[in-house]
Amino acid sequence: MRLSSLYSRINHNHSAPVWGRSRYRSLRLGLLFIAPWLAGFLLFTLYPMGMSLVYSLTEYHTRGPLEWNQFQNFINMFSDDLFWTALKNTLYMVVFGVPITLITSFACAILLNLKVKGQSIYRVIYFLPSIVPAVASTLLWLWILNPQAGVMNTLLGYIGIKGPNWLNNPAWSKPSLILLGMWGMGGTIVIYLSGLQDVSKNLLEAAELDGASWFQRLRHITIPMVSPITLFNLITGMIGMFQYFTQAYIFRGTGGLGSPLSSTLFYSVYLYQQGFQYLDFGYASAMAWVLFFIILGCTVLILKISNRYTYYAG
Amino acid sequence: MQTNPTHPPLYTDDEAERQRRLRSKRIRGWLKASASHAVINFVGLFFVIPFVWMVVTAFKSNQDVFHTPPRWLPYDYVYAAIDGQRYPLYRVQTADGEKELAALKIDSGVGIFADPANPSELYEVKIQEGGLVMAEAIMHVSFRWQNFPDAMQRGSRPGVGANFWVYFKNSLIIAGFTIIGTLLANTPVAYAFARIKFPGRDVLFILVLATMMLPYQVTMIPMYKLFNEILGWGNTFLPLIIPSFFANAYDVFLLRQFFRTIPEEMCDAARVDGASEWQIFTRIVLPLSVPVLATVTVFTFLWAWNDFTGPLLFLNSPDKFTMALGLRDFQGQRTMVWNQLMAASIMFTVPIIIAFFFAQKTFIQGIKLTGSKE
Repeated sequence: MRLSSLYSRINHNHSAPVWGRSRYRSLRLGLLFIAPWLAGFLLFTLYPMGMSLVYSLTEYHTRGPLEWNQFQNFINMFSDDLFWTALKNTLYMVVFGVPITLITSFACAILLNLKVKGQSIYRVIYFLPSIVPAVASTLLWLWILNPQAGVMNTLLGYIGIKGPNWLNNPAWSKPSLILLGMWGMGGTIVIYLSGLQDVSKNLLEAAELDGASWFQRLRHITIPMVSPITLFNLITGMIGMFQYFTQAYIFRGTGGLGSPLSSTLFYSVYLYQQGFQYLDFGYASAMAWVLFFIILGCTVLILKISNRYTYYAG
Repeated sequence: MQTNPTHPPLYTDDEAERQRRLRSKRIRGWLKASASHAVINFVGLFFVIPFVWMVVTAFKSNQDVFHTPPRWLPYDYVYAAIDGQRYPLYRVQTADGEKELAALKIDSGVGIFADPANPSELYEVKIQEGGLVMAEAIMHVSFRWQNFPDAMQRGSRPGVGANFWVYFKNSLIIAGFTIIGTLLANTPVAYAFARIKFPGRDVLFILVLATMMLPYQVTMIPMYKLFNEILGWGNTFLPLIIPSFFANAYDVFLLRQFFRTIPEEMCDAARVDGASEWQIFTRIVLPLSVPVLATVTVFTFLWAWNDFTGPLLFLNSPDKFTMALGLRDFQGQRTMVWNQLMAASIMFTVPIIIAFFFAQKTFIQGIKLTGSKE
């Protein structure tokens, strides 16, 4: 407590006003320094946001006059089957893909935290796939999951499993994408690893002396102590998944966007299709705003629920 | 776990019992270590095998790519030269026994073969007869390096004149300018948020952080119109480069966190000596910030190099394509040339792997900084 108040006092000193300058002069100086951000904010955030809002409320196909259409874009979404398909596909990825990736990357972080020979090499190996460009890794997995000459089903064949037709079976296309995502989860593993370093060694040792098993220590010490990191990974993972685009754009069977059978038609893919293939800017903008509010709502919801389960040291 | 050798044991009543316990503890430790190793290696296979497969495929010959079951090494024909032409060798069942012959022509199940030692004599053999294979290509392990130049020299679309070297160059140009823009624009902004006290600063900083929440999709369409129609930058690199010359929330946040750790006393001392805020920023803070500037550089490179959505929206003629877009276009063709596609993918990935090995610490640090801290 005392330490933290001391810290905040030091901190306060750090950001003390630049003495000897008038308010006006310091404002001018500050604005001069942040001018690049300010200009960018006006040009590339505020202006497009405003325009997007206008488009979303109008009937607007690339050119021609903007026509106010009484929230028709938003109303149309309710009766648009493909919109619901896209939303369901996206929710599938958020509800299954994000937690599966979180749990497996936490497990990997625990593995990589074991004191074994060659630990740093293993860490590199687990991390490396995450820096492969999304386009390259998606193409690679398309090839790995190829039903005829793919290596996945061959490997499964070695242990007596007849692999599914990953790419062209609507039931398997999304699990394939989750698998692809898991291959590139190195970033999440690194964040968990750094969190594991902060888990109190004293607490773990005390628990061990008291006879707590490995699992009990994991369940009652490690997992609660990395819960803020789980929360962070959950929220960033969720936001990323709602905007899932590149992999889905590349990863399609023999058909067009969203194939097979619209099973990979995700929200952002459908939005792109509406905007840049059907050139319905009004509808696409409305979808973008709905996406924004879905993400906002989910974030707030997760933060609310997590309050009860997240442990913050200090 | 380990006993400290400098401390003698407290009592040695039963030396044999102690030894036994020590031994069983050591065995248990060894078992634990090997079990850990086994699990780590097994899970590691999941991360390694795709890489291996990518590399193996990139070296495969066309006739080996679709071989079923897939083979873990690249195979190629054994070639024989007849009149300066190269023909693949086949193991052929002829009237006078099995022979190794060069296949001159194979058409609708019938092959015309010649003996490289005696090219004038031709054999006409059905490849398959009554379920028996009469002629079989002789394959040997061979790494086809030629896939790499072949892949790089071909365009995603024939006849346009743009090939993967052009895409590679385009990606480099875009990434280079994006790095310059990001470094120039973000550092002063982050410095102001870290060290200059001005009215409204904290509110503005919250606004900076709030923009992180906004999905790209919301601004995508108006930006598309702004760049393409209002500014007339369609099919140029400008829409991809220019925004980086305006600060973005992630880098501002990252840099600000670092700038705050630089001792204020140093800046104060310079201030007393009459240095201006700009001088403090450029002469004191920036030179001390090389590690974080490296982080920003590496991550910006990674981001710009990998970006797919931006080029997809703004670039439409093949001579302007980036690697990401070129690969996607390559994939879109009717026949998938997987070996060349994988070779091109490796060319696309290698700069990043190199960057990683040069700046491994920077990478990991950056992920931690943007991730777990604050």
